[in-house]
Amino acid sequence: MINIDIGATAVAVLTLFGIYALMAISLNLEYGVAGVPNFGQALFVSIGAYVAGLTYTRLLPLLAGEQVIHPCRATMGAALQLRSEIMATQPVAGFINLGFTFLIAAVLAGLVGFAVSYVTLRLKEEWFLALVLLVGGEIIRIVVRGADDLICSHNGISGVAQPFYFLDDPRASAVLFMLLALVLAALAYFYSQRLVHSPFGRMLKGLRENEEVTRSLGKGISLARAQIMLIGSVIAAVGGVLFALNTGFVNTNDYVVTLTLDVWVMVVLGGVGNNRGALLGALLIAIMDRITQIAAIALNMSGSPIEFNYARFILFGLILLLMLRYRPGGLLPESPLTTDAHEILRRVRER
Amino acid sequence: MPTALLVTSVVNTIQIGSLYALMALGITLTFSVIRLPNFAHAEYVTVGAFAALIVSLSGEVNPLVIMTAAFVVGALVALVSHLAVFKPLEGRNVSLYTLILSSFAVGLIIRYILFMIADYFNLFDTRIRIPLQIIYREGALILTNIFAWVAPTSIVLVLLLTLLLNATPLGREMRALANNIGLARVIGIPVERVKNYTWILVGGLAGVAGALWGLQTAVSPLMGWVAILSVFAAAILGGLSSFSGTILGAYVVAFSENTVMLFLNFNFGLDLAYKPAIPFFIIIVVLLIRPQGFTELFNRSRDLQR
Repeated sequence: MINIDIGATAVAVLTLFGIYALMAISLNLEYGVAGVPNFGQALFVSIGAYVAGLTYTRLLPLLAGEQVIHPCRATMGAALQLRSEIMATQPVAGFINLGFTFLIAAVLAGLVGFAVSYVTLRLKEEWFLALVLLVGGEIIRIVVRGADDLICSHNGISGVAQPFYFLDDPRASAVLFMLLALVLAALAYFYSQRLVHSPFGRMLKGLRENEEVTRSLGKGISLARAQIMLIGSVIAAVGGVLFALNTGFVNTNDYVVTLTLDVWVMVVLGGVGNNRGALLGALLIAIMDRITQIAAIALNMSGSPIEFNYARFILFGLILLLMLRYRPGGLLPESPLTTDAHEILRRVRER
Repeated sequence: MPTALLVTSVVNTIQIGSLYALMALGITLTFSVIRLPNFAHAEYVTVGAFAALIVSLSGEVNPLVIMTAAFVVGALVALVSHLAVFKPLEGRNVSLYTLILSSFAVGLIIRYILFMIADYFNLFDTRIRIPLQIIYREGALILTNIFAWVAPTSIVLVLLLTLLLNATPLGREMRALANNIGLARVIGIPVERVKNYTWILVGGLAGVAGALWGLQTAVSPLMGWVAILSVFAAAILGGLSSFSGTILGAYVVAFSENTVMLFLNFNFGLDLAYKPAIPFFIIIVVLLIRPQGFTELFNRSRDLQR
């Protein structure tokens, strides 16, 4: 049997939960609240990860006052060693670098999200947007992989270390990183809760339910859609940066349609249109991820001929199908919106 | 660009374009008749390839038998996915996104079941065992019996399907469903039965396409999934409704992926790593600029109007 370190497992699961929560909240705002079918979640997550790959190789040495070494091919080892040394000895450079990473990723992803939603206004049928986003993610992936020098298409960038890597105790570093992920997820959650309960959020729900009616009430729907895409993309890109930092590795192969589907599973499982549902979905998927990993290793060690890693995808597919068929609202369905005015009205009625 | 390379790439275009046509017609048919952009279509192709592989590993060398097996298995899987997943959802009148998402889920499940099977029986990177013969050789151009099977079979099947759609009662009923499902039901067309036949046809042809695909490259659980967006590009070029447009679209996509890509590589140094992006560009450009695709080039009266 394998020994499971409960503390470390809990930290890993909670870190993953924070990262997944960011992605799920982003998709929930876009699809659950505003009804924009973002089948390109991997695109926005990947922007965060690619930016991390770029800043760790290009910006970090500059911030630490060192020469930039080309990260690929012959100088790959030297560049990796330099990165790791800087992250281990110069925490300030690491933090500034991380700040820039978040900033650049957020700006880039926001711009892409905003632009995409305007471009797709031209689309004849609404579901084409899903296809355009799906395909857009793949194009970016292929271009980044093809432009060999950006983030070393064949090997990827390793040594994308967490910001607390300089601590002597790897456990403390992991716990702090977990806290960072959870704090960012909490910020995103409270922000999106406020957004959903604001007049803007109600307009988005109106947009989701009936575009024509919302327009007839004098709401500018294309701007609203662009804004929510911008917000969602920024949150997803922040999740992408953390995702890359969590694995310590940036490789274009990780940001494929399967990742998009994972996020959809979280939202559909937790509850479409409900931010709490997105959190629940993210938590359940983070736990399930870990359990399938442990089960796969345990089965492998016991000499079982069945590769259990594949079972994860079958399981996720089944979850999607069962939820869509028997509980389309998710485990925590969206509750009716209540505003202050609505509360007053209810009290007046009761009187 | 050297002529020999040009000729080889055109041969590739014909071979791959014919396969794309076979698959893309299935996409067009499901989209028009069932009203579902079916991303699980890729997996019917893969399932067919695996069925063909397993039959060929049992010692069968007759391509016709192998393809029949692929047809039957592909059709079965498609029909089961319809009855178990899509039909109950359609009954509940769900949004199109729910249908798209469930088609992704169906694809995911089939794909990874195939991964498990391939892993268990050690089927990775094996080919369908048909003895390879060279039937024609002219300079650098080599045509094998594989080419002689793949291209003509696909073309014949595509023609048969077009004939079925235009000249048989079932085809007429399918067109009626595509045109107006409510009206079709009112005038007494057995809608559910026509849908079942559509799924059998679509899955079966995808299965045969998989078998043919497995003749030329190694069979892998990802083979359909890798091709699916190229196939969607072809169907979108056909406006997702026109049969002739879809066939033309399939050859256009294959031509861009092979000949145009090689041309760009030779003359402008564009890295071959960008090849997979070509169908994606086609999808985006067509959807944004000309969503009707090639439909207006052809007489639409005989197509699957929506």
